[in-house]
This record gives sequence, C-alpha cells and structure tokens, in this order.
Amino acid sequence: MDESPATAPLPDDGPLHGDPGLQPERTALAWGRTVLTLIAASAMSLRWLPDQGPFVLAMFGLTIAAGTGIYATQRRRYRRSIAGIRAGRLAPDVAAVFWTAGACVALGALGIWLVLS
Amino acid sequence: MPPTSTPPPSSTPRRSRFAEKLLPGGTEPDPRFTLANERTFLAWIRTSLALLAGGIAVEAFTSDVFAEPVRRGLSVLLLLLGMLLSAGSAIRWLRVESSLRSNRPLPLPLIAPLLAAGCAVAAAVVIAVVVLA
Repeated sequence: MDESPATAPLPDDGPLHGDPGLQPERTALAWGRTVLTLIAASAMSLRWLPDQGPFVLAMFGLTIAAGTGIYATQRRRYRRSIAGIRAGRLAPDVAAVFWTAGACVALGALGIWLVLS
Repeated sequence: MPPTSTPPPSSTPRRSRFAEKLLPGGTEPDPRFTLANERTFLAWIRTSLALLAGGIAVEAFTSDVFAEPVRRGLSVLLLLLGMLLSAGSAIRWLRVESSLRSNRPLPLPLIAPLLAAGCAVAAAVVIAVVVLA
C-alpha cells in the first residue's frame, strides 16, 4: 500500500501533472458534487420520520455512511489520479463505482419499500 | 476484435482482483479517458439521484396535491427509474471502460432512452392528473 503511486509523496515544486484539462481536479469535484446530491436526496426522506419512525434514520444513515466513505477517500483519489496522469496509466476504480451505484440502488429500494409499506 | 496480446506484467499497474475479473484483456487506456469515463458515470449517478430525490419528494411533500394512489404510483415510478439508472450507469461505465481497454468503438448509451421514456411517462402522469382534476 505504501509503495503504490497513490500514496507516494508529490513533488514540492513544479506542476503536479501535465494535463491542461485539469482532469484530476474535475474528477475530484465531480465526486464531491455526487456526495452533496446523495446527502440532499436522502435528507428529504427525513420528512417521513414522524410517520415511519427509526427506519428512515437507517436509510439516512446508509447514505451518510456512503457519503463519508467517498469524502474520506477524496484525497487518496485525487493523488491517485495525479499519479495516473503522470505515469500515463491509471487503473479503473471499480470498487468506488460499484459501491456508489450500489448505495443509490439501495436508497431507491428502501424508498420504494417505505412508500409501499 | 479485441487484441489478443497482453502487455508484459511489468508494464501493467497493479489492479484489484475485482478489476482483473471485470475488465480482462486489452491494455490500460489513456488515464484521461479513464477519468472522463468516471466523471460521465458520476453525472449519470447524479441524474439518478435527482430522480430518487424526486420520488422521495413526491411522497413526502405532495399529500395536499395528489390523491394517495397517484402520489404512491408516481413516487414508486421515479424511485424505480432512479434505481434502474443507478445500476445502468455502473454497467455503462464498465462497458465503456472495456471498450477503451480493447480500442473498440464506444457502446450506445441504452440508459439514455430509458431516462427519456421514464421521464416522459412521469410527466404524462402529472399532466393527466392535473388536467383531470
């Protein structure tokens, strides 16, 4: 883990990477916007709290956990994409994509269950 | 046709076992393409989250506007559409990444017509309810 490009120290001087499209920045911001949308979407379900009880809190907790997970790995993700641009190759982040999609599917499934129950 | 030759192990970055299984063969694409694919996935996820938020909002905030069957139906329709789009966006991401690895043309976005048709149905339901009311 410590030897991987994602955790290697970045140089103190000079440009961090040679990509004029600023793709690492834009990708990190896209993840950040996704966290905000995820929390905002599930926060609306708190309106169900008086009727549905603690189950709504579990649903909200799931998205808070997913959002915290994404936020906690933001720094690692940003450094990893910079290292990828510098090295000319970047392994796809399969786990992040599938966890995020899975959290959204779970949010929808819990929502449907609450609406129909 | 995917290329049959794989690069020597020394030139490939360490990939997770999961990634090896889901994205076998080919070569690592330009990292900018991988990042662009990731951002496109996230844009689709935000679209699906907007639908999920819409579904939650319809159920939570429109009890004075819609009768209960309409409210529940519309909410379930939007939530279901959001779920399908979330799962579809991950599949789309995988298919695009696979095409990038093997230098094939990008696949057609099947989730785009799904989104359009689903939103059209939801809008039609709202219009019908408003006109009939």
